[in-house]
Amino acid sequence: MEAARLGISKLGGADTLCRGSDPVAARHFKVSSITFRGAVTAEDPRSVLRRWLEAETLLVVGRSIERADSLEKALGRARFVEDFLEEGYLVARLALARTPHARLKAVKCSPALRVSGVLRVLTHRDIPGENQVGYAIPDQPLLAEGKVRYYGEPVAVVVGRDPDAVNEAVDLIELEAEPLPTLLDPLEAMERRDVLVHDALDSNIAFRTRVRKGDVEEGFGKADVVVENTYRTHHQEHVYLEPEAALAIPDLENRITVLATIQYPHLGQKIVSRVLGLPASYVKVVAPYIGGGFGGKDDEGPLVAARAALAAYHLRRPVFLYYTREDSIQVHPKREAAVIRYKSGASRDGRLTAIEVTIVHDTGAYANRGPFILWRATMHSSGPYYVPNAKVDGYCVYTNKVPQGSFRGFGNPPVHFAVESQMDQLAEKLGMDPVEFRLINLLRPGNETLTGQVLESSVGIHEALRRLAASSGWRAKRQEYGQLRAGRFRRGIGVAVAWHGNSTSRGVPDWSNAYIHVARDGSVSVYTGIVEMGQGSPSSSHRQLVAEILGCPIDKIRIVFGTTDAPDSGATHASRGTSVGAIGIVVAAGRIRSRLESFLSEYYGVERDRVEMSRGQVFVDGEVRMSWEELVALAYSKGVDLSATGYFFLPKGTFNEEVGQGFAYPAFSFIAVVVEIEVDTCTGRVRVLEVHPALAIGKVVNPEAVKTQVEGAVLQGIGYALMERLVFSADGKIVNDNLTDYVIPTFHEVPAIRDAIFVEDLWEFGPFGAKGVGEMALIPMPAAIANAMSHALGARILELPATLERVYSIARQTCGG
Amino acid sequence: MRVAFNLNGRRVEVDVEPGEILLDTLRLRLDVRSVKRGCERGECGACTVLLDGRPVVSCLLLTAQVEGREVTTVEGLREDELFGELVDEFNKSFAVQCGYCAPAMVLTSYAFVKRVVEGRSRPSTSEILKAVEGNLCRCGTYPRVLRAISRVLERRLPGEPRR
Repeated sequence: MEAARLGISKLGGADTLCRGSDPVAARHFKVSSITFRGAVTAEDPRSVLRRWLEAETLLVVGRSIERADSLEKALGRARFVEDFLEEGYLVARLALARTPHARLKAVKCSPALRVSGVLRVLTHRDIPGENQVGYAIPDQPLLAEGKVRYYGEPVAVVVGRDPDAVNEAVDLIELEAEPLPTLLDPLEAMERRDVLVHDALDSNIAFRTRVRKGDVEEGFGKADVVVENTYRTHHQEHVYLEPEAALAIPDLENRITVLATIQYPHLGQKIVSRVLGLPASYVKVVAPYIGGGFGGKDDEGPLVAARAALAAYHLRRPVFLYYTREDSIQVHPKREAAVIRYKSGASRDGRLTAIEVTIVHDTGAYANRGPFILWRATMHSSGPYYVPNAKVDGYCVYTNKVPQGSFRGFGNPPVHFAVESQMDQLAEKLGMDPVEFRLINLLRPGNETLTGQVLESSVGIHEALRRLAASSGWRAKRQEYGQLRAGRFRRGIGVAVAWHGNSTSRGVPDWSNAYIHVARDGSVSVYTGIVEMGQGSPSSSHRQLVAEILGCPIDKIRIVFGTTDAPDSGATHASRGTSVGAIGIVVAAGRIRSRLESFLSEYYGVERDRVEMSRGQVFVDGEVRMSWEELVALAYSKGVDLSATGYFFLPKGTFNEEVGQGFAYPAFSFIAVVVEIEVDTCTGRVRVLEVHPALAIGKVVNPEAVKTQVEGAVLQGIGYALMERLVFSADGKIVNDNLTDYVIPTFHEVPAIRDAIFVEDLWEFGPFGAKGVGEMALIPMPAAIANAMSHALGARILELPATLERVYSIARQTCGG
Repeated sequence: MRVAFNLNGRRVEVDVEPGEILLDTLRLRLDVRSVKRGCERGECGACTVLLDGRPVVSCLLLTAQVEGREVTTVEGLREDELFGELVDEFNKSFAVQCGYCAPAMVLTSYAFVKRVVEGRSRPSTSEILKAVEGNLCRCGTYPRVLRAISRVLERRLPGEPRR
């Protein structure tokens, strides 16, 4: 009603698409294509996935249907965690360590407890279960115990009646602690054994990786050109606009319920139950709308939930825990800061012959997901190229700094900055065009990756780059800008490609699941653990998948997302919301469809392949027979089960860690970008003018939604390459822990982002063949910008960010005055 | 202390602390949830409200300062035709992702669009950027927000010369 009054088209194009008046159904399948015999085969997950992968005609998937959440968000109705705070709830904030490395003897709470309105200060002593929250390695306490390992490490939870009291009290928490020498440089920390961030280890190296493929010496022997450099990248802060928060309510539904800014509710449930010493079944975690995550709330989310839950557990009342912006920046893990030594060689005919790479990640005080990040960076360190000989070593190194963590791209933006800078320099030495040189080496179906994994299909990057070069006007612009290296403003055009493995690595289990229930009125509830943090999978693609498969009107579908009351669908990370994370939705919907087809076949006495369900109607031989609602009512009356789950366990292969060879990922997403920039040689300011993206990401379920993911990642990539930098003081404190001093892209940094080229290189297990997309555009952006800068200035930047000072000094060297 | 002002066309009177910011008064005392907390130092714009029709950040404003003035949030514009049109274009342009900045982004855009539509002069691109530059969006919806604004302006000011 209100929507109509506002002139808001409630469903946009969706209703016309999905409830057409055309009586002739566009058929999903060729008449003879249905070969299922009986429900067992038809409900087998692989059969369901294959059936929809091979569908001839799609009516909903592949269309830019508007998101279901835009209006409620724009109108201020969408609720985020803090919006559930009610009068009378207790509030809590973290007290943080103000020393980078110290032996912790006691947390002095008495002054804080004397503040009027403060009820309790909780420390590690108050944890009833395990004070252990490390994801990859059990090295991290929820609240500091025994030692403080970084400036900003949470030491206590202060609970009170109002924010003023709590804010006053957190500043009064003092530590009784004996200071220890501080390690801030990962290269130094690697060598030191006299100072250890974790006393139980004999070094500061948390984790190592390696690849040994072919014979590197022989490979460099065959090389006609060799390039060797050291690249450095920096921490990146997520700056989701919504800082971390959690609301824990004891005894709701006889469980402790936690609403949190979290990307994986089921992981939150596991961590909360471990910390409280309760079975998981006594813990419910819900992610309402999340105000941006980008990986940061995957790491910090479960810890925020656990700290709030701890307070509610002790105080037996709802507790709202909040991070201020400064708390957020000090506490939560950041994008990996990396030092990458990279040597690569190529023969005169433009073929890569060998790479030798050393990657050092500054993982900070705790490993967090650092080992996974390093593993991913290592196994992608060739770029998406065929490389016959490789030697790669990776080191994840402890320092006394904020931990390293998940951030869109997960290890790949720094390593691609190195690879793709190398590729341009090799091409230059060979006198080849950078695009041509890449095309010679890019992976094609049947090629083997760095880890020796043969990719039989879903490798569309070659076509993507070829089409991109044509559509972006690469050749002409490369020549034109190259000839204009004069004057204050210099133009440059650069290219970079990237790949990113889908799912968890190696044989690490990964799965998908969902539960779908069709109610008697024809409305459909889809329960998924995937969260809505802006990426849009629950708000757009999930609805489209279900509408396509069930043939019901899309406005009948409601996605219940981000709750542990849904089946564990895996995390909303690794670009998996619409790929791996949605496989379960396809399987569950496919099962219900199959049952309805069997029922209709029997009901009308016709072969199954003469029945079609689409646009909210049932067709037999192309004639409308009944509506979706009539079908559902009839099916209920005849006892058809209209509820289904969709568990799918991804098949994986084996991996030999000794030599880094074997099955790394079930599929890879690919991207190429061409970037045009302008450098002001008088100020060092770099403006990104145009970005041309091309993606090989399997089926594109919602093209406009995908484009917005590309745009967002492009902007974060521009920030990472040119503007954003965390500054650490001599004692490891983040100096710029606010949005005045940590600068992110604004409206003024927006380039012209051209419509993405899509190469739909379908993945056999993806929903309709979809692979991941969310992270993709960030990965090649720093490299593409660096390559364009090199084109503009004739000199190369090896350290990010390319700040005004760095660019200015390079410009002075090459351009004079 | 007692402060009286107009909130979304309705007169309200609240007891507040002398140093209380409008953001807290709106969220914690008056149940206005569309105004979001982002940085509490006037950088992100997520807590934008309209004060006598102009966008301001409510984290840098003491509630005492709005005595007798008109404060507008998206809750107060649901009946407004131009606002509805703008929100509709935000939706069609995919200008909303996580949505945390969305109410503020829409408010700022609305104040600008309303001003230029009433003044019947079509703004330049740099004027549009100037109007919205104070609102941050980490999801990167900026190009889509600009598209939504442009579409409304194209429709509302079809024949007007571009400045």
